Amino acid sequence: MSMIKPRLLFIILLIFYLLIIVKLFQLQVLNPASTHTTYLKTNRIPPERGKIYDRNSQPLAVNRPSFLLYIEPKKIEDASEFVKKIDAILQLGEASLASKIDKTKNWVAVQSGLDKDKKQRLLEFKLKGLGFEDRFQRYYPESSLAAHLLGFVGKDVQGEDVGYFGVEGYFNKDLTGLPGIIKSDRDLLGRPILIGTQQKLDPENGRDLYLTIDESVQETVKKKLQTGIERYKAKEGCILVTNPQTLEMLALTCLPDFDLDRYYLFSEEFFRNPAISNLYEPGSTFKPFIMAAALDNKSVQPDDFYDEKGPVEIGGYTIKTWNNKYEGQISMTGIIEKSSNVGMVYVGERLGYKNIYSYLKKYGFGQATGIDLQGEADGYLKEEFAWYPIDFATVSFGQGIAVTPIQMVRAFASLINGGKLLKPFVVQKISSGNEEKSIDSKIERKTISAKTSEMIKKMLHSAVENGEVRWAKPKGYQIAGKTGTAQIPIEGHYDPTKTVASFVGFAPVSDPKFLALVILREPQTSPWGSETAAPLFFEVAKELLVYYNIAPE
Amino acid sequence: MKSLTKYFIWFIFAILLTGNVFIFLNSIKLSDEINHFEKETKNLHQENLNIENKIYEVDSLQYAASMASELDFTQKAEPVYLENLKYAKSQ
Repeated sequence: MSMIKPRLLFIILLIFYLLIIVKLFQLQVLNPASTHTTYLKTNRIPPERGKIYDRNSQPLAVNRPSFLLYIEPKKIEDASEFVKKIDAILQLGEASLASKIDKTKNWVAVQSGLDKDKKQRLLEFKLKGLGFEDRFQRYYPESSLAAHLLGFVGKDVQGEDVGYFGVEGYFNKDLTGLPGIIKSDRDLLGRPILIGTQQKLDPENGRDLYLTIDESVQETVKKKLQTGIERYKAKEGCILVTNPQTLEMLALTCLPDFDLDRYYLFSEEFFRNPAISNLYEPGSTFKPFIMAAALDNKSVQPDDFYDEKGPVEIGGYTIKTWNNKYEGQISMTGIIEKSSNVGMVYVGERLGYKNIYSYLKKYGFGQATGIDLQGEADGYLKEEFAWYPIDFATVSFGQGIAVTPIQMVRAFASLINGGKLLKPFVVQKISSGNEEKSIDSKIERKTISAKTSEMIKKMLHSAVENGEVRWAKPKGYQIAGKTGTAQIPIEGHYDPTKTVASFVGFAPVSDPKFLALVILREPQTSPWGSETAAPLFFEVAKELLVYYNIAPE
Repeated sequence: MKSLTKYFIWFIFAILLTGNVFIFLNSIKLSDEINHFEKETKNLHQENLNIENKIYEVDSLQYAASMASELDFTQKAEPVYLENLKYAKSQ
C-alpha cells in the first residue's frame, strides 16, 4: 500500500509531462506558424533621414521625433465616445474621424506628424484600439530660408516619406537610408521571451549632405531680394550667387517661395524653382556672349569701330537702339557700354550665322546644366535650319532665345574664368557614418580663350564705369557687369509694359570672387534693368565684399 | 538504503523545482529590465533629438533676428568703410 501512492503520483506526472511534450510537438513542429503569429513580433525600424547642412555645417534640414496615430477599429468599444475624445485634441472633425472607424479593418492610420505633447494627452484617455508608431519629421531651424533649394519631404502612395524638388528630390535615395528590422518573441505584456527568437538588424540612416550654400549669404541675399521686390513692385525675382572659378552655388533664392513646414497649403507652381525651371529672354545681358564669341573668333577687336548711323533693317524688321539715339563712330567696348542693339547686329553679322549658333551651343544654351537639383528645364534653342536672319539679329541682343537663370550663370562664369564651362553644383560633400564623398568642380569644355576672357572682363568693367547710368557702387572696388531689359512675349508679340529686368555682375574684376545674377520680373516702378536689378545687385555686392573680406583695390 | 535513495530523489526534485522557479522569475525580471531599457533608450534618443533641435534653433539666424527685433537691436551692420574709405585707410 505504501508503494501505491508514489507510483500513482509518478504515473500522473508522467502523463502530465507526456501531454506537455505532445502539445509542444504540435505547436513547434507540426504547426509552427501559429506560434509565430501569436508571439513573434516583427517591427520595421525606420531609418533617420539624412540631414542637410550648409557649407559651414550649419543645419538647414534636420529631423525631429514625431508619431503616427493609428487605430485598431476591432478593439474599439464605444465608437462615439472614442471619436469625441480624440477630436477634442486633434480637431480633425468628428465626422472625418468616425468615417475611419471601419470595423472590417484591423489597422487604420489617422494622423502623422503628431508631437510628444499631443501623444501624451491622447494616452491619458487610456482608450482601447489607439496606438502610435514612431516616425521622424523634417525640422528646419532656418525656416524657409532656402525653400526652393531644399525642396520638401512629402508622401508617396504607400504613405512613405519621399523628397520632392530641390536637394530633397534629387538626393532622395541618399537621404532616405534603409530601414532596420526587429524580430522578437514577446509575451502578452510585451516583454521579450529570452529563450525565443531575438533578432535585430539596425537601420542604415540616410546620408548627410553638405551644401555649397552659405547660410549667411543666402539670408542676406534673400532679404535684399525681398526688399527689392517690394521697392520695385516686381511680380517675382531671383538672385543667384556663385563662385565663378568653381561654379559652386553660394546662394540661390527666388521669391515668392513657400513655407517648408506647411508646404501642403501651397499650389504646385510655388514649388518650381524659377532659377532652374523657368525660361526667360535674357535681353542685353546676352550681348557679352556674342561679343566674346566675335572677339574669340577674331571677327572683331575691342578697338574696332562701327559707324552707327541709325536703325537697321533685317528681313523686313527694323532694329533700333533702346533710346533711339545713335552714336556715329562707336567702338566695340562702346557697343557694350551703351548697350547698342544696332551695334550688336553688326557684331553678329561679322561673326557669321554659323559661328553664332556654334558658340551658343558651346555656351550650353538649350541644354540642362546638370545641376544637382530636381526639376531643371533644358531651355530652348531651335535647330539651326529653322533660324532666319532676323533670329540671328535678335539673338545678338538677347531676344528670341529662352534660357534659364542657371544657364546664364554657367555661361557667364565661363566668360570671366578664362573660358571654362563648369557644371554648377550645390552639394559639396555626402557623408555616411565615417565615409565621406567630396564633390568637386567639373570642367565640361572651353568656350573662349583666356585672352578673350580678359578682354570681355575689361569691357564689362567699362560698361559699369562708363555706362548710361551711374549707380551707387562701393567705392574703391572694381566691379563689372551688364544690365538687361527684355520684353516679355505674350501671344505672339512683345508687351513693352512687361519686362524682365536683370543684371549680371562680378567682383573684383581682376580675380572674381563672386558672380551674381539678379532678375526681377515685371517691375512696376521702372521697366529698365539699369534702374531696378542693377541697384539691387550693387546692394548685394556691397554686402558680399564685406562678408568675404575683400579689400578695396 | 531505500529510504535514503527516496530522500535523495525528493531532494533533487526540490532543488530542480526551486531552480526552475528561480530561473523563471529571473527571466521575467530580466525581460522587464530589457523592456524598460528599450523604452528608456528610445525616450533618450527622442529627448536627445529634441534637445539637438533646440540647440539648432537657438543657434539659427532666424532666432538671432527674432531676438534682435525683440530686444530692439535694430541698428544694421552697415559696411560704412566702403563709403568712407578714410576709416579703412586710417592707421
